[in-house]
Amino acid sequence: TAVNIGYSCKMLTDDMTEVFVVTGHTVLEVREELRKAREKMMDASRSVGNGFSSKEKLSSSKLTSVLEAIAGEYALVINGHSLAHALEADMEVEFLETACACKAVICCRVTPLQKAQVVELVKKYKKGVTLAIGDGANDVNMIKTAHIGVGISGQEGIQAVLASDYSFSQFKFLQRLLLVHGRWSYLRMCKFLCYFFYKNFAFTMVHFWFGFFCGFSAQTVYDQYFITLYNIVYTSLPVLAMGVFDQDVPEQRSMEYPKLYEPGQLNLLFNKREFFICIAQGIYTSVLMFFIPYGVFADATRDDGAQLADYQSFAVTVATSLVIVVSVQIGLDTGFWTAINHFFIWGSLAAYFAILFTMHSDGLFRMFPNQFRFVGNAQNTLAQPTVWLTIALTTVVCIMPVVAFRFLKLDLKPELSDTVRYTQLVRKKQKTQHRCVRRTGRVGSRRSGYAFSHQEGFGELIMSGKNMRLSSLALSSFASRPSTSWIETLWKKKGSEGSGAGSPSGTADKTLKV
Amino acid sequence: MAVNYSAKEEADGHPSGGVGVPGGGAVGSGGGGGAVKTRKPDNTAFKQQRLPAWQPILTAGTVLPAFFIIGLIFIPIGIGIFVTSNNIREYEIDYTGTEPSSPCNKCLNVSWDSTPPCTCTINFTLEHAFESNVFMYYGLSNFYQNHRRYVKSRDDSQLNGDNSSLLNPSKECEPYRTNEDKPIAPCGAIANSMFNDTLELYRIDNDTRTPITLIKKGIAWWTDKNVKFRNPTGDGNNLTALFQGTTKPVNWPKPVYMLDSEPDNNGFINEDFIVWMRTAALPTFRKLYRLIERKNNLQPTLQAGNYSLDIAYNYPVHSFDGRKRMILSTISWMGGKNPFLGIAYITVGSICFFLGVVLLIIHHKYGNRNTSADIPN
Repeated sequence: TAVNIGYSCKMLTDDMTEVFVVTGHTVLEVREELRKAREKMMDASRSVGNGFSSKEKLSSSKLTSVLEAIAGEYALVINGHSLAHALEADMEVEFLETACACKAVICCRVTPLQKAQVVELVKKYKKGVTLAIGDGANDVNMIKTAHIGVGISGQEGIQAVLASDYSFSQFKFLQRLLLVHGRWSYLRMCKFLCYFFYKNFAFTMVHFWFGFFCGFSAQTVYDQYFITLYNIVYTSLPVLAMGVFDQDVPEQRSMEYPKLYEPGQLNLLFNKREFFICIAQGIYTSVLMFFIPYGVFADATRDDGAQLADYQSFAVTVATSLVIVVSVQIGLDTGFWTAINHFFIWGSLAAYFAILFTMHSDGLFRMFPNQFRFVGNAQNTLAQPTVWLTIALTTVVCIMPVVAFRFLKLDLKPELSDTVRYTQLVRKKQKTQHRCVRRTGRVGSRRSGYAFSHQEGFGELIMSGKNMRLSSLALSSFASRPSTSWIETLWKKKGSEGSGAGSPSGTADKTLKV
Repeated sequence: MAVNYSAKEEADGHPSGGVGVPGGGAVGSGGGGGAVKTRKPDNTAFKQQRLPAWQPILTAGTVLPAFFIIGLIFIPIGIGIFVTSNNIREYEIDYTGTEPSSPCNKCLNVSWDSTPPCTCTINFTLEHAFESNVFMYYGLSNFYQNHRRYVKSRDDSQLNGDNSSLLNPSKECEPYRTNEDKPIAPCGAIANSMFNDTLELYRIDNDTRTPITLIKKGIAWWTDKNVKFRNPTGDGNNLTALFQGTTKPVNWPKPVYMLDSEPDNNGFINEDFIVWMRTAALPTFRKLYRLIERKNNLQPTLQAGNYSLDIAYNYPVHSFDGRKRMILSTISWMGGKNPFLGIAYITVGSICFFLGVVLLIIHHKYGNRNTSADIPN
């Protein structure tokens, strides 16, 4: 039954090289069957590659490397009995390696505990994030064990939903969860983190440089109230809006190009290197933020000759240029400007100036002379052309290298998401130009054109007369050749779910539209 | 560059009908199959993340012109500032007296309260005439007015004329808060270290010394003199009576109500005092001392020639390796002589322009032509 279901939901296909069935009842039998499966896989790859002596007992690390390089597609079907033996301590690594070398693994007639054990096994030995999806009470163990648990709310009640991190109503939404929402979430989180470290380093390191010129007495460069309000009022809302609304590509493109998911799996957007780049940018900004006003204020006076190089004017100048520079930076980082983003960014700048002038006003000073010592400063300092020239210079010098680096990166080595964004933009332009001329053709025609035009693999499949609509799983497996563990885990779970629930109705939904 | 993008327009290509799209907000409670209470999330643009938005992309068409424009704007500004700065006349005399040949060497180790005060005279020559108003500054070096303990050592409500603070200064002023059980007015280390050298300028014209009128009003900020610093209020204008019960700061020769004979420059609103209380940001600073106004449009304010500076050397700086100087300067729309800003603008402008050229070359030779054929799928 399991094998039939496997074929009908296209986890097993006819052009797989071999489907191994493990149904041994004792430990020895299971071990033998696993070994035979491994040998067959290695034989096939050896005949393609260089020769090895056949009966060597390979150590596990060599085993992994050999098994990863096998040619052909294999599948493994194992039932509950055999799984119990295969999960014993001495055999579990072998089982895992054999299973991971296969394209699809179906475990049928497994108990809930075994489901959890399989997930546990993968978590322990494989470097990756595991996801478990299920809809019944028997899946709760597995959902809780995996890193990410997804529950389907529906036929079998809400047990799975209560135990899960995410839940939705149909299996097909898993694709959206991962490719659209998961990806966006990762992107937003990384941008948010990078920016947060940057703005705080730019803010704080100025005190480090000022220390050299104030006798290391820990005198703050800024006004007390600025320090309090900087992180809360002046800079928090724009980055919050970016963290909530940012999208690099629209959702339809995310679904179309699953390869966009790769940076998340490879941890490309926020790792040690990116972190150090953020920090370096923050330090660079702080150097300029201090030393340019320092150079200007060393001998500066106001345009009526009176003093300009006093501590309070210096504080106002540095604070204003800091707020403007980090606001421009968040503007550069935000790739998706909704109305809310606009409101938050311009509103934060406006709020800064409003609060600045309020706190430096006469009224507040008269009420609390010892609290609001900066009376008269904003009006006097920000009326000087020298101060605004300094602020403009600082902004340009801080932002220009960032723009240059990003432009070069986009131009010379664009990521897939950049290319997709760019083509999206081009297509938008063409659409608006040809709007009146174009007739809407068949709804599905554009999509299938994209899906097929660049992969020769599909030609055979169409010619063989099989189902015209491919499941997205097969599509994504062609698109991203190096086997990704989430797909296998997904298939494993789907397979176990398919056999566990035993309902064929679910399969109709599995042929997802491209 | 970027076009207004509306997510709604994309939906017309989407093949799925009823169930798929609204339930697409997959995170959260799933859409129930039950007919009575549906838990489907709202199909609004906000909740389904379909808000219309502007999606800017850094293309060559925007970045390269931006670099060139910035370069072309900054370089003339820089040249303008630099030329303006070069036209400002400035003359500086260091009169600390550390060299034995200096006339003020005898005053180098004078104590702050010596009477009569040590005086010295320095003669100098101005090569060029100083047109328009001339400003006389005193400058100090290695004097950390920005030290944290120093900066907080003041009582702004006392300086604002609050009578209760006058007799009970704030704790921040310690150890310059009371002297012999009487409150100090004005309290704090900043007031205590007020600069009290006297500088006088004479023109030497064939052995006749003509004093040059130095104006002592108008040197402080208007908001400081009229809002921040107020004398204590009471009956009568007799400041001596109003400051009854307080004592002078430890290192002052005279109490605060004897700083000047004119009543609107006496007490806390004395302009020299106000200028000193506005602490400097850096250890080397200059503060406005006096103004020399031009008499008429025909003559320059200070003609070229010989001058002599008479100094009453009251302020000892040698103990902390400080230096004192007197600066005469004219002023422009951007303040005093400041070549840094001009040079910085010219440098940054040229770097921007050069960077624009470099990026243009790189883009031309190696830039990717982004096409949809590049997308691997």
